[in-house]
Amino acid sequence: MAALVGVLVSLPALAGLLPASDASVSAPDLRAAVLASDTVGFSGFAESAGGLDLPVTDQLTSVADLFSDRTRMRVWWRGPIDHRVDVISAGGETGVHRDLMGSWAWEYERATATRTLNSALALPRPPDLLPSTLGRRLLSEATVAEVSRIGALRVAGRDALGLRLTPTEPASSVGRVDIWVDADTGLPLKVEVFGKGAALPALETRFLDFDPSAPDPSTTAFVAPPAAAIRGAPVTDVALEAGRRIRPVPLPPELAGLPRRVLTGVPPGIGLFGRGVTLLAVVPLPSRLAAGLRDALVQSPDAVVDEAGVRVSAGPVALMLLDPPGHGPYVLTGTVTLDALADAAAQLPELGGTP
Amino acid sequence: MIAVELRKLFRRPRTWATIAVLNALPVLVAVLLVLTDLAPRPGEGPPFLSAVLRNGALYPLAALAIVLPLFLPIAVAVVAGDSIAGEASAGTLRYLLARPAGRTRLLVAKLIAVLAFVLVTVLIVAGVGYVLGTTLFDAQPVTGTSVSGTSLTPADLGGRTLMAIGYVAVSMLGVAAFALFFSTLTDSPLGATMGALAVLVASSLLFTLDAASPIAPYLPTRYWLSFVDFFRDPIHWRDITRGIALQGVYVGVLLAAAWANFTTKDITS
Repeated sequence: MAALVGVLVSLPALAGLLPASDASVSAPDLRAAVLASDTVGFSGFAESAGGLDLPVTDQLTSVADLFSDRTRMRVWWRGPIDHRVDVISAGGETGVHRDLMGSWAWEYERATATRTLNSALALPRPPDLLPSTLGRRLLSEATVAEVSRIGALRVAGRDALGLRLTPTEPASSVGRVDIWVDADTGLPLKVEVFGKGAALPALETRFLDFDPSAPDPSTTAFVAPPAAAIRGAPVTDVALEAGRRIRPVPLPPELAGLPRRVLTGVPPGIGLFGRGVTLLAVVPLPSRLAAGLRDALVQSPDAVVDEAGVRVSAGPVALMLLDPPGHGPYVLTGTVTLDALADAAAQLPELGGTP
Repeated sequence: MIAVELRKLFRRPRTWATIAVLNALPVLVAVLLVLTDLAPRPGEGPPFLSAVLRNGALYPLAALAIVLPLFLPIAVAVVAGDSIAGEASAGTLRYLLARPAGRTRLLVAKLIAVLAFVLVTVLIVAGVGYVLGTTLFDAQPVTGTSVSGTSLTPADLGGRTLMAIGYVAVSMLGVAAFALFFSTLTDSPLGATMGALAVLVASSLLFTLDAASPIAPYLPTRYWLSFVDFFRDPIHWRDITRGIALQGVYVGVLLAAAWANFTTKDITS
């Protein structure tokens, strides 16, 4: 009897130990296959788990939950502008249906369908945490020198080829990103993001079920149910709203050794620096927004409070709020080290740096 | 012998008192909802309860979700825990086994009686829920909305509701198997019942811990709430099939252990 129970319990673990077939694909070729995979149709079930306990204000709790909780997602993908991602919970579901002009978000427990039009700037949403989407995003600006092969693994019952991204910027707080890519389709099946020196991933997302065939269009389409409340997204979202209210500040072309980049659609007051998985955002905040954020930051047991401001990190994500006397407050955040944040703060023009 | 055990179970006032108490909570919740018109906030409360004010036809599912975490397993554990140990504590087990039927047939008869109790109880909770939902709330008998926001025909809704009721019944079989197994180990029905409930409380507690996530797929309560997955569109079969398989393994192993223990033990009472 005990032997029977032992066999039954160990079956799933034994299935996971099945060896994966590797293929002689170079790292740059595998990266290219990943970047070309956004038009590959598939469906599946994915789960992401994050350990990033971001200290945030009330407006951003959904983003914080996304990176600190376990998120279970069903996905039907026909392409970048035709897909559906349902986040399922024990008692409900929130589905995002993407189409040409934007997306519908369906919330069962509120019986609400919210229409959001396409925007250049948006807060992270569950579809961004799909292994396929996240893997492509993280590899999009990786150089040949930053990627290497790391063998193969069985993921969701399929052979997945390993690709490791090791950022070369000294300011980066990301130690490495391991991406496991479906050998047949080039779709990332599993992504692990490790902080510098960390043995466990700060963020992990993987497919548990994967079907490499395109779903029917009727599955991804959305028609609001008759009894649903229909809403439009309020002024796109909180990031754009903040963008309108921030003061324009001339930011330098480089901070903490990271060059400034220009992105279309981003409010002019927001500065984005860096490349690939090493990014730093600088935002001059309105005082009212800063007060709430400061309260949240100082409550973190790991917060560093000094004359430079308040700094805190959650895994590889660092966040700093500084409020120089006589000037408005700034928030600096990104996947950089706390030292890099302090360096960047000292280079801001209102703190004596050169614009 | 099966007919005898079924008659004995359903003629016992205690059985119907248990079922009545089990239905008291959904009745109370329905009355409170009607009086206050306050549904739980999204993400809070049992599944489907927040949707009941929009469509009372969903109340059978809400009623099952209300009793599923605690009341239903307690009722099943009480009946299953009493099946063998109750006879032993009353001193009637040796007389039952004096008949030529044999221990295996007695165990099978007890098992079938427990299964019948599970099924009848789940159907009554769902039936009472339907009556409450369609009389106290605005019901939408023509169509319903799936959890995913698609429209369901009455046939869809009815079929999925029946499958959900069946799934809840299957989920309770694991509880019954635990209690029946413990019932063969002890002469105390209370001990057998408490043993089964201790397993369930431990399972529910471990399920909330991230540190226990490696063993979560093996916890007996892990997939209980997956009956909600019947109402997603398309149906999310992943957890449903795992839930049925997990209960199958628990039931198979525990019943085999109960049989091995019961057929070899010394009956002294």
